[in-house]
Amino acid sequence: MTADKKAAGSPKRAAEQSEESIRRLKADTKKPVIGYLCCFAPPEIISSAGAIPYRLTGQPGYDTSAADTYLEPYGCTYVRNILARAAEGKFDFLDGLIISHSCDMVQRLYGIWTYNHPLPYSYMFNVPHQVSPWGQRFFKRELGFFRESLEKFTGHQVTPDALKNTIATYNKNRSLIRELYLLRKEPLPLIEGSKMLELLIAGGSLAADDFAVLLKKTLNDAKQKEPPEADEKAPRIMVWGSIMDDPTLYRMIEDAGGKVVTDDTCIGFRVWEKDVPLTNDPYDGLTEHYFINFQCPRTDRGPGISRFDYLLERAREYNVDGVVGYSISFCDPHKFDYPDLRDYLKKEGLPMLLIDDNYSFEPAEAIKTRLQAFIEML
Amino acid sequence: MAHSEMSRAKRHLETTAKMKEMLPRFFMRMMERMFSNEPLAWCMVGVPPELLKAFDLLFEWPENFGTLCASKLVAPRFIEVAEGDGYSPELCSYVTNTMGYCKLFKETGEAPPESPLPGGMGTPAMLLGSGFICEPRWKWFQSIATRFYDVPVYSSDPLAPPWDIDPHDPRIEAHYLTLLREDLAGQIAFIEKHTGKKLDLDRLKEILALSHEALGYWRDTLALRKAVPTPMGSTDYFHAIIPQMYLVGDQEAVDFYREMYEEVKDRVERGVGIVEEEKYRLIWFGLPPWFNMGIFNYLESLGAVFAYESTYNVGDYFEVDLSDPLEAIVKRTWQRAVKMHEYGAETMPELCNPAVFGGFSGSNLLEELVNDFSLTGAVMHLTRSCRAVSFGEVHTRNRLAKIGVPSLIFESDMADPRHWSDAQIKTRLHAFLETMDKVSKGGAINDR
Repeated sequence: MTADKKAAGSPKRAAEQSEESIRRLKADTKKPVIGYLCCFAPPEIISSAGAIPYRLTGQPGYDTSAADTYLEPYGCTYVRNILARAAEGKFDFLDGLIISHSCDMVQRLYGIWTYNHPLPYSYMFNVPHQVSPWGQRFFKRELGFFRESLEKFTGHQVTPDALKNTIATYNKNRSLIRELYLLRKEPLPLIEGSKMLELLIAGGSLAADDFAVLLKKTLNDAKQKEPPEADEKAPRIMVWGSIMDDPTLYRMIEDAGGKVVTDDTCIGFRVWEKDVPLTNDPYDGLTEHYFINFQCPRTDRGPGISRFDYLLERAREYNVDGVVGYSISFCDPHKFDYPDLRDYLKKEGLPMLLIDDNYSFEPAEAIKTRLQAFIEML
Repeated sequence: MAHSEMSRAKRHLETTAKMKEMLPRFFMRMMERMFSNEPLAWCMVGVPPELLKAFDLLFEWPENFGTLCASKLVAPRFIEVAEGDGYSPELCSYVTNTMGYCKLFKETGEAPPESPLPGGMGTPAMLLGSGFICEPRWKWFQSIATRFYDVPVYSSDPLAPPWDIDPHDPRIEAHYLTLLREDLAGQIAFIEKHTGKKLDLDRLKEILALSHEALGYWRDTLALRKAVPTPMGSTDYFHAIIPQMYLVGDQEAVDFYREMYEEVKDRVERGVGIVEEEKYRLIWFGLPPWFNMGIFNYLESLGAVFAYESTYNVGDYFEVDLSDPLEAIVKRTWQRAVKMHEYGAETMPELCNPAVFGGFSGSNLLEELVNDFSLTGAVMHLTRSCRAVSFGEVHTRNRLAKIGVPSLIFESDMADPRHWSDAQIKTRLHAFLETMDKVSKGGAINDR
């Protein structure tokens, strides 16, 4: 099945817009573009090293047969999607690639991609699974090795002051994003969930300052406009789960009569919820933000349901009526957490619906029907 | 569910037959201690068994329990219970087997009647996990302790450098060794806290010496399989790994592996193989289908033998200085990681390598193995529920094709027989052997 056959249309646009945007930025700045996957290797360091960080995105529903030469069919459909497009040269604007060791699948993606299609620069950022004291020390040392490798490639030294400045710039964007999220706490959210996600996806291919301009404009527009037409009683939904780098599911929820008011996904609130602490040694702040605080289920936070407390707090803060879980095929970390999370939320009076998907949002009608039934129930 | 297509393995060595008496003796000893309420630890491969022995800690391996349930064809019962609880059929079937088993155990207060071990796995007082090999292992014990047993968990976190990082760089070495040392210290502190015992380093040293002696015989036995005809096949190989989990550090294990070495050596000297006419010498990739180990004998009936298996292989056994036993455990882990890099490990997750037990190391090793073991083909078991072991097989197939060795990748599972399609798999195996015939006559490698 190819992307052209897809009815949604939007998936293709989201990824392609990002790629068009990054090509323009590269041409304008003459800086090397370094693509990254997952959220452990800080883009602040890439930026401070004189390169452009680019958040790689998949293209849901894309024909992944080009990946078959390198990868098994039983594997993360997102990883297969990325590799298929890499094999077809769709990422030919990349000067470098950084993959952080978030899960087994992306780790192998790194090896197979760089072995078969080497780039001028590549680095696998290693991440412990435990936020133990030694895990934290390892992460901080790894940040240092990462910085060195970037400096060697770009020839641009990353001074602590420059890094602190970059962190401060990125924090301003985090702050603006949180302001935008706050607009969705209202009974009638001033910005739709799908629009918010589109904005965050767009941010992955923009320079931090340009992203700030876009965020401010969106914020001002949202505040000045009348609330979007929506039923005040429409159920308020939180989305939890695997990588969400396309707004199709959010649109489906909205079409089914729900409002996505918050989330716990990558590219979404997981990344923007908190500032990077401005510590004297910037690598301490980065360790705290990108390792200790970053809520990916691949990181072990010990047993017990208290590991989901932050989610419940967020659900209450945003007055959530129900949770839609999204799980990409073969996404072990999320699939393992689902039964525990579902039971925990149920106990707290929050129903949950899980959508299993092969990163295509197809068959769309079946997904929509399930969403409609869930939202009606709410 | 009927499983008439499944067949038990026929083994070829007399030594492995002795395990029928040896292992029940061990399990009886363990059960006696369990009944006297000694604390029991459920453990994962990657936790040094020598450490458990040094603490004289009762232990059980849920992974091994998964293989037992698979071989007795009861795993689907437990897996279906877990699936009913919301665990995806895509998840590791060892894990879902355990989750279903635990649910039934907790509901009735006793081991489900299907349990292949009388009394089941007992009730854990602690869970000792390890992140080596794969990611589901992080979530497995976390889920058990969340849903079924509210007991303390320690998961060790052995990392190793990615394939393109130079492990010989002293700073990189220090970076990783520091983590390995600190993590081991954390593991020991945890066990000390929850057993109330202090680690006896002298005892650990003795156990390590016995362990290394046993594993040395195992390494030498595996090397003997270079002989043509190969003196030992996969059914013996996969069976003989069990004492490494339960008995390493005991004299009993040393005796077992020495006897096995001597028996295999004798077979080599007498030119005794496992089939009459060895037509195809193969390498096996992936976990075996524990519910149908007879598939190896089926291939043997067609003249196809396996001289090397990529999983559970401790061929890369390392000599380490045992005078400091903790440093010895760290160093053997590290040396294995370094060796892996020397062979190129682009498709192996770095967590797969550091431990004493398993993990095929590196794609550049392929050529060496093909030459040393006179291999003519590869069979790869793509396990639907275990991507950690099978993701990368296509890459390995591509590397093998470059050196003229054909491969077959077939799909099933290690514990869940519902994924076994006998007629289809056997048809593919037959077709593959025909392909090998053609390749040996100069034909092109095009099997997928």
